[in-house]
Amino acid sequence: MNHGIGIDITFLSLATLAVVTGWRVFRTDSMVRASFFLLVSFIAVGVIMILLAAEYLGVAMFFMMAVEMTVMALFMVMFMMNPAGLNPMNMVHQERIAIGAGIVGFLVLGAMALLAAFPDQPVSADLEPVRSLGNEMLGDSMLIFESAGIVLLTTMIGVVVLSSHRGRYGAAAVGSLPPGLEPGGDPAGKLEEDEEEESGGHQHHHHH
Amino acid sequence: MLLSELFLPVLMVMFMLTVGAYVVAVLDRLIAGAFGAPQAGRVWLAPMARGAWLMTQHANATEAPDWQAWRLAPALYLALAAIGLAVVPWSESLVATDLVTSVVLWGSVEALATVVIFLHGWSANALLALIGGYRYVALGLSYILISMFVLIGVALPAESLQFTQVVASQEALWNVIRQPLGLPLFLIVGLGMTFWGPLNLADSKDLAGGTASEISGPPRLVWDVARAAMLVAFSGVAASAFLGGWMGPWLPGPLWMAIKMLAVLLVLLLLGRVLPRIAPERCVTLMWVVLLPLSFIDLVWAGIGALL
Repeated sequence: MNHGIGIDITFLSLATLAVVTGWRVFRTDSMVRASFFLLVSFIAVGVIMILLAAEYLGVAMFFMMAVEMTVMALFMVMFMMNPAGLNPMNMVHQERIAIGAGIVGFLVLGAMALLAAFPDQPVSADLEPVRSLGNEMLGDSMLIFESAGIVLLTTMIGVVVLSSHRGRYGAAAVGSLPPGLEPGGDPAGKLEEDEEEESGGHQHHHHH
Repeated sequence: MLLSELFLPVLMVMFMLTVGAYVVAVLDRLIAGAFGAPQAGRVWLAPMARGAWLMTQHANATEAPDWQAWRLAPALYLALAAIGLAVVPWSESLVATDLVTSVVLWGSVEALATVVIFLHGWSANALLALIGGYRYVALGLSYILISMFVLIGVALPAESLQFTQVVASQEALWNVIRQPLGLPLFLIVGLGMTFWGPLNLADSKDLAGGTASEISGPPRLVWDVARAAMLVAFSGVAASAFLGGWMGPWLPGPLWMAIKMLAVLLVLLLLGRVLPRIAPERCVTLMWVVLLPLSFIDLVWAGIGALL
């Protein structure tokens, strides 16, 4: 282990940043803040990966997580109907199960860190991490990676199609009508002339 | 070691940030003057005067903003511009960080810029700023995709994700000729991610300044400097990726690089003054229906070129 104290200091501060921002994800009161705290946590992990000489994977973490967290924040705001994600909301649900799972997870991971025998195989200095990773991903394992990629993409599109079918004002395919001003009343705003639903006090339908 | 690996690169990037932002401000005023816009004060002093004036102004506050994000966003955008400038090579050896994956790091800067611009608009807790932020996210995704395909195109002949290698691969033929679609597409990305001129939809006039509609004083100064610095970083990346970077006859490498960056900056600022702003909805259509397929063609072109 011939690295300078600078590496140690960098690692410890990044690790602290990753843990603290990861904790803030659950203590904050907004979906947008939570997403971007998580992004900071991931970026800190990405820099640690660069310290570990995973130069491609570390940098890939930055742009993947940046786009991912932006999309996540926006989709959460859209689906949760919290205007702009600005309204305070509780980010923690099912607290007992979550606390239990958290303690178990911490114990398992902590035990692994303390008890597992990690391999001591220093890589040679002339190893090119980017090239070898590329050979690995686009060589023998190409079929696996490409199939996984297509499956993930299909899943994402499918999820959006399924979940966006029902919009805020009813099924998306039918057309959006705002809810009534009173329960079961006419839709607020403009009413279609040929609307067949008989409701409310308006009885002046014109049949052509 | 600490001096050469940390102190000097940081100093170099800081110098570039300051000088670059000033050059952008002066050039933009010169171009505006050439088109007949009225000038207040001398062109060379006006940016300094505006900066000093902003420094002394009161920083505006809105009702219940997200203070941390609101104050940090301009600084973070400036930091992203600094990262961009850090990967631009000035000669074979003169580069602040010669990371093996510097092309990917630039891609990350573009992606993180989306986050920062969105946060800037979101955190103000004001309507027009928020619309500006959402607008940028809707458009930013298409900018990132186009930029990614174009940059993979220049990485292919270099067989490397390192900007110094990308420049070195243009020894025989610059990428601007080898991949004719690349530079025009990349320039559009540049205008987009600094929301400049025709693609200024995040901070546009129809939103009374968009994400920047509620900021004044020092935060606005940082935001303006950061946008200008990002334009400089972008022109450095464009010059390295398409115009052969430091290569050229007679003059030393860094000087060639400066000339090429200035040329890209001039083109961008001219486009910014000449072209009208497009409507955001039509811009999304343009990006996804026209420019993204063009970037696919650019990538296929680059791939065929690499195979032959």
